[in-house]
Amino acid sequence: MSNRINKKQFILMPLIILLSSLTLLGCTGESGEEETAASSTENENTITLAWPRDIGELNPHIYNPSQLFSVSMVYEPLVSYQDGGELKPHLAESWEISEDGKEYVFNLRQDVKFSDGTSFNAEIVKKNFDAILKDVDLHSWLGFIPLIDQTEVLDEYTFKLTLLEPYYPTIQELAVVRPVRFLGEAGFPEDNDTSKGVAKPVGTGPWVLDEYKVDEFATFTRNESYWGELPDVEKIKVKVIPDAETNVLAFEKGELDLIYGEGVINLDSFRQLESTGSFETSISEPVATRQIVMNTNRELLSDIKVRQALHYGFNKEAMVDGVTSGLEEKADYILPTNMPYTSNVDVTAVNYDSEKAEQLLDEAGWNLPEGKDIREKDGKPLEIELMYSSAESIQKTMAETLQSEWAAIGVKLNIVGVELTTQVERFKDNEFDINFFSNYGAPYDPHTFVNIVATEGFGFYQAISSYPNKDELLEQIAKVKQTTDENERQELYSAILGSLQEQGAIVPISYIKKIAVYQKDVSNFTFPANRDEHPFTGISIE
Amino acid sequence: MGTYILKRILAIIPIFLLVTLLTFGMINLSPVDPAEAYLVASHIQPTDELLAQKRQEFGLDQPLLTQYVNTIVSISQFDFGKSYITNKPVWEEVSSRMPATIQLTFGSLLIAIVVSIPLGFLAGIKKNSAIDHFSRILSFIGASIPSFWLGYLFIFFFSVKLDLFPVEGIGTWKHLVLPSLTLALPLIALYTRLLRASVLENLQEPYILFARTRGIQEKAIMGKHVLKIAISPMITGLGMNLGKLMTGTIIVEAVFSWPGFGRYFIEAIFNRDVPVIQCYVLLAAAIFIFSNLIIDLLQMYIDPRISRKGRQHQ
Repeated sequence: MSNRINKKQFILMPLIILLSSLTLLGCTGESGEEETAASSTENENTITLAWPRDIGELNPHIYNPSQLFSVSMVYEPLVSYQDGGELKPHLAESWEISEDGKEYVFNLRQDVKFSDGTSFNAEIVKKNFDAILKDVDLHSWLGFIPLIDQTEVLDEYTFKLTLLEPYYPTIQELAVVRPVRFLGEAGFPEDNDTSKGVAKPVGTGPWVLDEYKVDEFATFTRNESYWGELPDVEKIKVKVIPDAETNVLAFEKGELDLIYGEGVINLDSFRQLESTGSFETSISEPVATRQIVMNTNRELLSDIKVRQALHYGFNKEAMVDGVTSGLEEKADYILPTNMPYTSNVDVTAVNYDSEKAEQLLDEAGWNLPEGKDIREKDGKPLEIELMYSSAESIQKTMAETLQSEWAAIGVKLNIVGVELTTQVERFKDNEFDINFFSNYGAPYDPHTFVNIVATEGFGFYQAISSYPNKDELLEQIAKVKQTTDENERQELYSAILGSLQEQGAIVPISYIKKIAVYQKDVSNFTFPANRDEHPFTGISIE
Repeated sequence: MGTYILKRILAIIPIFLLVTLLTFGMINLSPVDPAEAYLVASHIQPTDELLAQKRQEFGLDQPLLTQYVNTIVSISQFDFGKSYITNKPVWEEVSSRMPATIQLTFGSLLIAIVVSIPLGFLAGIKKNSAIDHFSRILSFIGASIPSFWLGYLFIFFFSVKLDLFPVEGIGTWKHLVLPSLTLALPLIALYTRLLRASVLENLQEPYILFARTRGIQEKAIMGKHVLKIAISPMITGLGMNLGKLMTGTIIVEAVFSWPGFGRYFIEAIFNRDVPVIQCYVLLAAAIFIFSNLIIDLLQMYIDPRISRKGRQHQ
């Protein structure tokens, strides 16, 4: 027996020793490094924030897994999108557009250097464009890319872009974060095919990637030879924290200086942090409109009176305020009015009026039979389905609110939560009655939004499919992108957006906003006008 | 012994085929198209042309059988393909995240062993004492609290309020404490009960009586005899839990921002990153198979009766 005991002892003890040594080994390897890093960041002028995902490989020409805000820290556009949709020169000092709207000549800034010291010029602009154009299908969602006919270097600092047909949003689309931003020569892989990866992230932007550990953190240091205004902060540290609650706890403890983004923390956490009074909070201008989109292919919803009744039939202001704790604002227009060409759309405001809603339903022939709660027409009940993304608590709570509000006017609403990908898929495949969606926001709208409405095979197209003026709308949408006359363009946009809204299949619900919470020693925080840009311009920390 | 091990290793092949078939089947039953998921994750509006292009790139336009055979062939050459999202070899991505998960697993295993052995043992030999009651309460709590909530509680008290440990991340031993503890508590609950029951059972054995009549000191009886025999079921438990632990770190990794492969896997599921999902499921199966095998061998070594029985059956 003692023999057996010895055997067990023989096995168990090494096992425990092995475990402990492995564990300790794992820790000691990096501990020294980490401590010095922590102590040095405290002395330095650093802003630390969390991001739910790894920043990715910082490739300006493809979409995944690089994060938009981090790409925008390193790479810059020719044109920058500013408040109210103003398009300002950035890497391009100025530009001329030919009469026919097909030729764009850009005069580039001459004082710009990439972070490795090489100069920014027309050659490298062309090289970037050519790399993007190799994969034209992937980028075709950005309207001007498939229209590019030629890219030319006129002289060292002059670059010319020729399109196949006039397309006015070209300048605006040059402000997007990807794919039209510029990688330095040293960043190109050997075969120049950036769609497979970049050699290293070399850009002209105010920040340079310094240290990077996948899934852990990334630090960016200030680009000391930046051509524009040098950032006040020397370092930005981005920690990867996938969980929203952990993000809040780390912030409360002081491990983070800033919480920023859309939906990065839940609404209650935001209000709770605000109520402590120990932190600064800030809410942005509208970045997009949350909408509900009705499928007018469905017989029920093809009747404008039913659509209008649904719009009158719920208290939008109370719902938005209640569900979003005031972080979003009731929307009266299908596009936020701080975007180009959207400020003077003439539509009748729809205010909550349940009597009017019931009256409209009566007029449409949907009557409430004696002793029943749901309206009927020719024996069929007034029953509709609303789809929402189950991961988004705002959509879910709004769906529940609509369910109870519409029940009061005799409409049975079935709500169904699906995964985001399924939501997009069903929206695209005409498998929905009503769905939550939104526009893209700056710098993509209004042209991207109207374009999607006119794209066959996407959900918005189903929304207008039984509009009596559908053909006219499609014609106007096609024309608005091509016209070179500024006034005509404005008129067309007003007409398109006005009509889309009057017909009631796209109902504006709320304006989506970004939030920021920061420690008291952070100052000059501003939200970027471009939804995808980083928020570090001008920021400082004591 | 040699043939036994060989048999067990050969048995992995049908299990591997079954696992790949199941994973493949389930991914294809899901209504979400991976090409579509890719575009949604990229914030690109999915048009039919783009979808077709991506499907072709991922090889999703081929017949299911061809896809399945291709998968099997490449996996048997230890090629798990490239991630749809990052466009990097899956194995590279997974193996670079493995050390973090292993560290967490062993950290929690260590805590579980260090706490549950004395606690379970003492609770057993001093039945109904204060320590026994304490162990019961701890087991009750450990078995019933969901780990994500426990994680938040730990962060809130030990990190935000008491400032003893960092909230998240990896690096020093301090980073390891809270996530390991979160993972260890359910194990402590389990092992404490297991050991206690086993000690109680052993105390009834005649050899204890003999030992006492032989005049051996009580301390020696407990330490040298009871504990060492009673611990045997715990070893089995450990082995069975090793696989569970390695694959059960997902939630804890998310809560504590631990850069292990569990977290990577979760994102892969949302993005329908098929090669990653396949690799993970196979890896999990392999971990289970091997940890069971190792424990079986260990038990055979400790208790030769097991292997003798095995030989009789042959």
